[in-house]
Amino acid sequence: MTGYAKPELSKSEQERLRRVYDDLQQLAASEVPAVAAAARAALAQVHTALNGEGLAYELYSKNWK
Amino acid sequence: MSRVRAEVPRGYWNPRTETMAREELAALQLRKLRAQLAHAHQGSPFWRERMDAAGVGPDDIRSLADYSARFPILRRDEITTAEATAPPYGSLASVDPALGVRHHQTSGTSGANPVRTFDTSRDWAWCADMWCTGAYAMGVRSTDTALVAFGYGLFIGFWGLQYALEKIGCKVIPTGSFDSEKRVQLLIEQECTVLACTPTYALRLALTAEQMGVDLARDGKISVVIASGEPRPEATKRKIEEAFGAFCGDTAGMTEAATIFMFECAEEPGGCHIIESDYIEEVVDPETREACDYGRVGVRLMTSLGREGIQMFRYWTNDLVVKRPAADCSCGRTWDLYQGGIRGRHDDMRKIRGVWFMPSMVEDVVRTFPEIDEFQCLLVNLDALDTLVIQIEPVVSLHEAEYEPLRARFAAEVKRQLSLTPRVELAAPGQLPRFEMKAKRFRDMTLEAAKP
Repeated sequence: MTGYAKPELSKSEQERLRRVYDDLQQLAASEVPAVAAAARAALAQVHTALNGEGLAYELYSKNWK
Repeated sequence: MSRVRAEVPRGYWNPRTETMAREELAALQLRKLRAQLAHAHQGSPFWRERMDAAGVGPDDIRSLADYSARFPILRRDEITTAEATAPPYGSLASVDPALGVRHHQTSGTSGANPVRTFDTSRDWAWCADMWCTGAYAMGVRSTDTALVAFGYGLFIGFWGLQYALEKIGCKVIPTGSFDSEKRVQLLIEQECTVLACTPTYALRLALTAEQMGVDLARDGKISVVIASGEPRPEATKRKIEEAFGAFCGDTAGMTEAATIFMFECAEEPGGCHIIESDYIEEVVDPETREACDYGRVGVRLMTSLGREGIQMFRYWTNDLVVKRPAADCSCGRTWDLYQGGIRGRHDDMRKIRGVWFMPSMVEDVVRTFPEIDEFQCLLVNLDALDTLVIQIEPVVSLHEAEYEPLRARFAAEVKRQLSLTPRVELAAPGQLPRFEMKAKRFRDMTLEAAKP
């Protein structure tokens, strides 16, 4: 055997993933505590998906207050 | 044991990075490394000072070869010294520790200062994702029920796996305060399909079950045992697999990395894949510091490409490993392997009367003797000669009349396999220490005697 099935993200799925990431980045700076906290938690997860697919890599938390 | 070992599903957690061409993988590593170095130079006084002193800034690293040739090796005491400048994290942190969402530290049982680390929410999600990569490769899926036998304290241990299993979608049973009997009961009642613990503790659990009259291979549903926290010789793996009727996958991590850096896939290539999308792992000769080729034992240097809070570049881990090419495994991953996982610790490696010795070699022999429950190795100086003393504790069910023949057979087998003549002593049942995490079965009394 030389490997398993390799499902791939389509172009539009890649774009959506990046868009979600960008949206969450903005919401992570929200002044509403609950919204900022939820966005930061979700952002961390979405970042792992982008990292795992080799699509994006960022050390972003330093910009947060 | 009445159940044939369970078959586990196959697949990749991240198909793209797990199977990308080696050249593409190297380019990905370099891109991440440069971002990591720039971040460290900007945010961490420790790393900035170190890079400036070595005359190598983030922009000077143009290739992975550049990095290996020019970037200094980091030692554990340099971390603890940096942290001691302003505890808990001192000059090491690359972001404000207030951004941390959790803190972990090593036990400090060796007498040295503990290594302290924190993770941002970004870092912690990454840590869990590394565990997901390993668990998924072992066959863990959302339909599994997993029992994690771990103390859930300051030590990082299986914390990351807890979050990874939740992320995969498993039902997780955290058995922090439970004793072995209760854990066996839960394994059966909850029809657990995944068990996570140290190899030593898996064997302990199997023995406890046997004493309770439970045959885990027959009565249980475990299909995957995720073993971590200690070197795990092949004989131990087979013993665990037989006891549980399950696949036992090896993995290893460290507090300094906050998560795992390697895992054994379901194809069982005789070693563990290195998560090379997120780590640069070098193997160097312990004396010359020169890079070891495939197949040559050396010390691993770890560079994490994952975290932003506490960063690690070329960290001397003391782990002894042998790298093999990815092609040695049929799973299709392009990530290289550590053949046999972690072979032992460089600081536990000794030359006894001209023969190289590592404690894991004794464990290999012990696990072929079902009459032995526990053991300890001591290096002592007898009549001006270094001597290996092995204490063995027979299982409770063994009749006393069989102790001496066991001792003699075991001594002969050690001599045959290790080319060393040990002094083997019998210990009373229950006399030797038991371990849930990080079994410590070797003591160098010659060093202890030399301490002031």
